Amino acid sequence: MSSVLELKNVSFSYTGEKFIEGLSFSIGDAEFVGLLGANGSGKSTILKLLSGILKPDKGEVMLWGKTISSYRNKDRAKLLSYLPQVLDMNVPFRVKELVEMGLYPYDIPPALTVEDAVRMVGLGDKKGSLVTNLSGGERRRAFIAMTLLQGAGILLLDEPLANLDIRYQIEIIRLLKELREDRSISIVMALHDINLAFQFERLILVKEGRILGIGSPDEVLREDYLQEAFDVGIRVHRVKEGAFISY
Amino acid sequence: MKLRMMILVLSAVIVSLVSLLMVPKLINPFAMTGIEKEIVLSIRFPRVIIAALMGMALGASGAVLQGMLRNPLADPYILGLSSGATLMAATGIVSGMVLFGAFTIPVLAFTGAMITGGIIGVMGWRRGGILPERLLLAGIGVGFLFSAVLMLLMSVSTNEGLRRAVLWMFGDLGMADWSLIPYGLAFIVIGLFIALKRAKALNSLMLGDDLCHSLGFSPRKETTLLFIAVSLLTASSVSLGGMVGFIGLLIPHIMRFFIGSDSRILIPASALGGSMLLVVSDLIGRAVLQPVEIPSGIITAMLGAPYFLYLLRRRDVLGT
Repeated sequence: MSSVLELKNVSFSYTGEKFIEGLSFSIGDAEFVGLLGANGSGKSTILKLLSGILKPDKGEVMLWGKTISSYRNKDRAKLLSYLPQVLDMNVPFRVKELVEMGLYPYDIPPALTVEDAVRMVGLGDKKGSLVTNLSGGERRRAFIAMTLLQGAGILLLDEPLANLDIRYQIEIIRLLKELREDRSISIVMALHDINLAFQFERLILVKEGRILGIGSPDEVLREDYLQEAFDVGIRVHRVKEGAFISY
Repeated sequence: MKLRMMILVLSAVIVSLVSLLMVPKLINPFAMTGIEKEIVLSIRFPRVIIAALMGMALGASGAVLQGMLRNPLADPYILGLSSGATLMAATGIVSGMVLFGAFTIPVLAFTGAMITGGIIGVMGWRRGGILPERLLLAGIGVGFLFSAVLMLLMSVSTNEGLRRAVLWMFGDLGMADWSLIPYGLAFIVIGLFIALKRAKALNSLMLGDDLCHSLGFSPRKETTLLFIAVSLLTASSVSLGGMVGFIGLLIPHIMRFFIGSDSRILIPASALGGSMLLVVSDLIGRAVLQPVEIPSGIITAMLGAPYFLYLLRRRDVLGT
């Protein structure tokens, strides 16, 4: 599997205090990767480094084999999109207006339309509603629709399932898996819900900006790793249909 | 949407014609005497144009600034540009600077506003561009400092020109003159051009810096460009006729109610709405207490504020 996005020996510090040191891993083509860790473990920082929002102090972020900073902003936006965890926008845009912003990097719009994207996240009947009047979950789905419309081959999603009830969590996970299969999209998603982590093809477990474990859910979701990552005793139960945790 | 924009344009034209030909005295455009021609061309026409240009600049810069700073309470004067303009005009007059004859105050005001813009731009600069929060705080700080220096100047000086300059800064369209218009127009056109060209980036800035980056823009660079646009618009408006309150703050909210929040439409709509409100306010100010003229700023607030409050009750204008 070829690497589409890679952190190469990356170090990063916030106001002089070293947070990430010598971090390396790569994301393959059409891979569905979960970035798992407790609050403050560095998931968001890693996603921001991968997206080019944060610049590493040392090391390089490679996008399709070239350093991410060598891309023009618009060209990068066609290859990679990032959805932050906090969506505190207070401007009364309509859902349609917001989703349409996904087309901004393009002079010639890609095949997917605003209507398609809105329908895919289950907001077809709320196209004309003000985003500020939507519930937390609906608002998040509207932003996900915008990200889908952007049509990039790599999606970096920071806790996109936060505020969503279980039905929409499952629907969004299904949608992302479909996108990965139908359009060969690579997805990296930060999460802290261990039960959801079983859904991923590959997991990266992080603590204090370093990798504790990387590999398939079976390899990473071990009780000793989880205990270290979350500082609490966690039991993993493997059953025929999958696995779940208890504590 | 197109229909609403056409209604706005048409209303702006009608209001301008009424102001030009009907107030304070009705003039038939097809049978004008020599004096009437002189009144319309030399007094009313430049006044209507200056009111329209100022309103346009204030409405558009308010729409840009509220988006750029992600603050619904931002108005073009919040960044201290007007305080810089007043202080520069006042200092120039106290020190006897009459380099530009009748244009001394406007030229000094424009220079003062742009210098202030430069100062707060430098103070708001961090990591290769302007940070909105730093810019806002720098603007408020510099604005207070300049206002204090101006007060000091006023309390120690007995210069009659200084009093005139300060009064003029509170909004006066009475000295409208053709000769000022080309300069104001040029800077306003440049400011509007930049703002409209960067309207998509402004929309994405409203979603936060991270999403703006993800959509293919550089948040720092875009904020810097939009700040230059706002500075040009505000400085031109202040130098044309002093400060006129209300328009920059509330016209964008009123227009958001009519045509939505997309900056590509909101900026021109706010420009049109601002220009219409100022032309109407000037018209009313000239008409109601003849021969006394009521300053336009008073009328804009008296007309606009109740209407805005009505909208606020009816609907979620601020989006919160």
